[in-house]
Order: sequence, then C-alpha cells, then structure tokens
Amino acid sequence: MSVEIYIPQFLQHLANGVDVVEVNGRTVGECLNDLVKQFPQLEALLFDKKGKLVELLNVYINRESAYPEELAKPVNDGDKLQIMYTLVGG
Amino acid sequence: MAANFGRFLRINLSSGEIATEAVPEQVAMDFIGGRGYGIRYLYEELAPNTDPLGEHNKLLLLNGPLAGTSAQAVSRWMVCTKSPLTGAFARSVCGADFGAWLKFAGYDFIIIEGKSEKPVYVHLTAEGCQIQDAGELWGKDTKETQEWLEQCYGKNTRTACIGMAGERLVKYAAIVSGRRTAGRCGTGAVMGSKNLKAIAITAQRNVQLHDPTTYNQLVKEQVNLIRNSKGFQNHKEWGTTRTQDVTNDLGMYPVQNFRYGQQIGYEKITGAEYRKFRTGEFGCYSCPARCGKAHLVKTGPYAGAYSEGPEYESIWAFTGTIDSTSIEATIAADQLCDDLGLDTISTGSCIGFAYELYEKGILTKADTDGLELKYGDHAPMIDLVKKIAMREDIGNLLAEGSMRAAASIGKGAEAYAMHVKGLEIPAYEPRGAKTHGFNYATASIGASHCYGYSRQDVFGAIEPRPSDRFAEEENADLVVYNQDGTAWKETGIICSFASGWDWIPALYGRMLAAARGMEQLADDDHLLRVGERIFNLERVFNVREGFGRKQDTLPRRMLTEPLHTREAPGEGQIVRNQDKFLDQYYEIRGWTKDGIPSPRKLSDMGLDYVVSDMTGISNK
Repeated sequence: MSVEIYIPQFLQHLANGVDVVEVNGRTVGECLNDLVKQFPQLEALLFDKKGKLVELLNVYINRESAYPEELAKPVNDGDKLQIMYTLVGG
Repeated sequence: MAANFGRFLRINLSSGEIATEAVPEQVAMDFIGGRGYGIRYLYEELAPNTDPLGEHNKLLLLNGPLAGTSAQAVSRWMVCTKSPLTGAFARSVCGADFGAWLKFAGYDFIIIEGKSEKPVYVHLTAEGCQIQDAGELWGKDTKETQEWLEQCYGKNTRTACIGMAGERLVKYAAIVSGRRTAGRCGTGAVMGSKNLKAIAITAQRNVQLHDPTTYNQLVKEQVNLIRNSKGFQNHKEWGTTRTQDVTNDLGMYPVQNFRYGQQIGYEKITGAEYRKFRTGEFGCYSCPARCGKAHLVKTGPYAGAYSEGPEYESIWAFTGTIDSTSIEATIAADQLCDDLGLDTISTGSCIGFAYELYEKGILTKADTDGLELKYGDHAPMIDLVKKIAMREDIGNLLAEGSMRAAASIGKGAEAYAMHVKGLEIPAYEPRGAKTHGFNYATASIGASHCYGYSRQDVFGAIEPRPSDRFAEEENADLVVYNQDGTAWKETGIICSFASGWDWIPALYGRMLAAARGMEQLADDDHLLRVGERIFNLERVFNVREGFGRKQDTLPRRMLTEPLHTREAPGEGQIVRNQDKFLDQYYEIRGWTKDGIPSPRKLSDMGLDYVVSDMTGISNK
C-alpha cells in the first residue's frame, strides 16, 4: 500500500529537508514506522516510550483527523497523511 | 427573529438616560453579532478624531448570538471602542460568564456613552437597569469589586469591572470579569475615563430559540465532534501552558525584547514544570475544556501568590521579556495584573522595553527610582507592575505604552519599542513565524496574535494549505484567510481555541439559523462574506482616523536585525520583503497601494455608504 506522508516544516530538518515521503503500510502506525525506518531521528519525536503517537501530535488522513486510536486507523493506496501539532494557540 | 436577539441597551452616563433599542434585521443579516455589531455601530456613531478618553468615545460590550445557550464555547464576550493606546479600532475578548449573563438579561450588547460626573456602576437585570453610586468601590481592585457586588446582589451576579489601572487611565488597562480579562487595547482606560467602575448583571438562564429541537440536535453533534478532537483533549489537559515548549523549540519565543528566539533555561518553564504548581481548573460558560489552570506559589519570596492563570502570553510576558525563568514571579505578576486590571502582554512588553533601555544606559537608576533593571532579575519587574498600575514614578511613563514612552524618552528609545500601531507585540517572534508576523503588521487593532493567528506557521496546520514559516509575500493569501476567518468566527465570539476542535465551520452557521430563524446564516459563503465585510469596515474606520500603509509595519528591529535563535532553527532570519508582502496583501484585499479599500471593494462588500468617507484620503 503506497501512501504519501507530508512532513511538517518543524520535522523536516530530521528528514533531510524533505517535505513529502512515500511510505508503505496498511495502517497509520505501519506508515509511520516505515517513515522512521527511512529517517530514524524522527522516532523520538513521533512516538512516546510506550510506542504511542506523542501527545502533542496528531495525524490526518486526507485532511481528516485519525484520532482516536490513530496508529490503528487503516489507510488505502494513494492516501495522504499529514502531521501537525494538536496545540491550538495561546 | 427569535426573542432574546436583536436588542441592545444604550446607557448615557452624562444624562443618565437608559434606552433599549432594536437591531435592524438587515444589520443582523449583514453583521450577525459580536465583533460585527461592534464595528458597525462604532463606525456609524463615532465621529473621526474622537478623543478615546473623552466623553464622546463609546464603549460597547457585546456577546454573540449563541451566548447563554447550551452550545459549547460560544459564550465569550468582547469590548469594542476606540483605543487610547493606538487611536485605532479596538476589540478585546474575554471569557468567563459575563457574555451569557448579558444574554440572560436580554441583550446582544450594551453601548456606554458620555461620562458620569462621579464614579458609578451599572446594575442590570432582565427587569431593568440602574446607574448607582460607586464611591465605595472606587479604589478597590477587581477581585474586591466583584466580591462587593456579589454580596450586594447575590450569587447570580456577574460583573465586568476595572481596577486601579483603569481608574488611572493606564493606556493598556483591562476590563476584568471573574478572573478573565478583556486585556488588549486599553478598554479599561476608556471605562475609567467615563467614571464607570463596573457593570453588574443579575440574571438567570433565559434564552429562547427559534427551533430548539434542531438546535439541540446540532449541539449534540458539536459535543461529539469536540470530544473526538485530540486538540480538545490536549487543551483540556494543559490549557495553553505548553505552547512555550513548542515556540522555544521552533526559535519563535521572543527573549530580551525580541532579540532572541529561544530562552536559555526554558526547560524550567515548560508545561510540565507549571503542572507542579497547579491547584485547580476553571472555565467559561458552557465549555467542557476548563482550560484555565490555577497555580499557587507555596514557598519562597512570592509565597501565597495565586493566579487563575497564567496563560501562554502571560507566561511569556513575565519570562521571555526580561529573560527570567521564575515560574513563581510569573504567577505573582499575573495575579497583580488581574487584581489591578492590566493587559499582561503590554505590561510585560513595556517592562522588557525598559530593561533594554537600562542595559543600554538610556534609562539609569535615577530614572528608575533606584531599580536596577537587569535581565534575569524578576524582583524589579514586580515593582514595575505595581508602579505602572498606580502611575507612580517611572510607572507613569511606562503606563503610556512603549510607543509614547519611547517618544517621551528620546535618545533613540524608539528603536526598542516593540509595537505595531502602538499595540505591543505578543509572544511569537515575527522573524520566526512570518505569516504570523505580517498579521501583526496588518491587523486592525495593531499587533494582535489572535486577529489572524497563523496555525500554519506555529503548529504546522494544513488548512487551507501548509506554509513555510520563513516565506514572506508568498503567504499573503494565508494572512487574509486567517484574518477573515477570525472575523466571521468573532461574530459569535467563538473561543479561538475551540475553533480548532474540528466542528467549525460545519455547525456554526446551522446553529445560527436554528437559533435565530434566519436561514441564510447557515450558508458558509455568507459567513465568509460577513468576515470580509467586518475586516474591511474596520479598515475604513482606521483609514478615517489617519491609518494606512505607513502604519502597516513591523518594528525596525525585525526588518534590519537578524534573529538569534540559539539552538533552534531560524538563526539569522530578517523580514526582508515587507513592501512586497504589503503589495501582494493589498491586491488580494482589493485595496489601493496606500492600503485604502477601493470603492469597488467597498461596493462589493455592500458598504457603498462609506465610499464617500474614503474619497480624497491618502496615507500621509
């Protein structure tokens, strides 16, 4: 299953400056794991110690929030994933 | 329209006259409510060049059309007036319960006119309104004032009031309700200039809807969407006390008067560190987030300091500005600002400005009454907060705002005043978040982060598209999108945090239609046009006051000095293409090269009646 992940600017420095990465996986979790295989430095920023997506980040599938249970959400061929902070301001 | 909507109260403090008036249906359709009514009525009723602290200025306190209902996060309220700090249109938003109580009393807004000879307060119920002597209240802080009025009128009373700062016409005095603040633009000074200490409303829930069945179903949908929003869950957990974690990582946390974008030692002021001081949570009417986090200092020189805050901006105002990492001092300063009725952003920024002037020898101990304003030292900061509120010593100068204080000091001080149009810049470094920064430059009220918050820059938001936070004129469209979006949301005074919880815009328009029986309000295109209309009329108001392209500028520091971000990205950034940005921004907006809305644009917005006011005006 081929999926594109759009890397937000605040993470691009850990992905060789790339903004779009093609990954493989049947779920959001598998896709992110594939991303981390390509760019290992992203792991600490994406996943907490229990292997869950960190509290401050959310993943969107074709601009729709994957929350809750983000990592288990299925993806389809051609889907686009986006990552952004969940904070809303201050 | 359904009952409870379409009425406002006019109170003349000079004559004592009080009258209820109707909002024409077409005005309701064209401006909807909240900020829309604010600019519409101010533009119509305020003559150009009105003295903001004179009796002819008008002070509007407004709620939104859904206030007081079961809909979530739509009961905030705002103040609109002409700002004594900037001379431009002013709008300042507040939370807690006052907006709902105003609706229970039967009103969309109150217009305060004239000036009382002696200090007074207003007491409003659903049955009537009275102007009362405030001799006993004048001189009390905002907590004492509210407690006094609650003792007088009972627990179903909610109050909006000023503290000593407003009484002394501090140019950034705030209006406080509960422990929330309508902070920006000096609306508290306008209230003080009218000798008006407080507006107290005693009421019980009473809102009638056009179609309650549909409305309640929409609220259920809203609640479901909100609960399934990760943004909501985080906001409920942390409020805004983690934003500095992100802005420091990104190099956009302003330090030492906007010289640096990351604070050394910021690990001491993270959200997790604030959690250690937390004692409770509180929230606004009909909002599930309870995002207000209360903090208590138990030990040390600030022991006993308690604040239902600080929020992110206040966290920055008392740390980044003076390069202190003391949570305790921040809580103490935040409490003082609430009690005395001060805008924390302008207060902290003016103090940071003073610290830099002291470092450079432009201010000396002789000017500061012996206070040594050294970066990292928070004790003088606490003294300065009190002096500003009471207009004592150097506080009297700083109480004028950094723009006027700099002009008065001279010696090159103007280079260190970090403001736009006189309104001090908030807690996001423009060189580290340029779309956000250009919003500061062009927002109607001056440098306001809320006016067109760029979540794209700060949080990587993807709507309408992701942004490169260092791009400049290329993102002019995002600035317009964010500003107009905020404008239509503020017709309902929807909490800006809640607008990021996945229920906007789908439900807001439909809720309006069900509440008020005006079907056109359910049309998203109508909402977008209202937002654009509001922004354009605000611009016309400001142009009429002499504002234009010359005032749409970030401070020289951002245009000429490279940002130092220490270990964060963005080192060396400067805003290089402000002129190109403005050209692009004005073109998108349909304004002239001087930043004046064109007759064609105004006509397109249904604002033909203001075209003649713009004739012959150029920005000199």
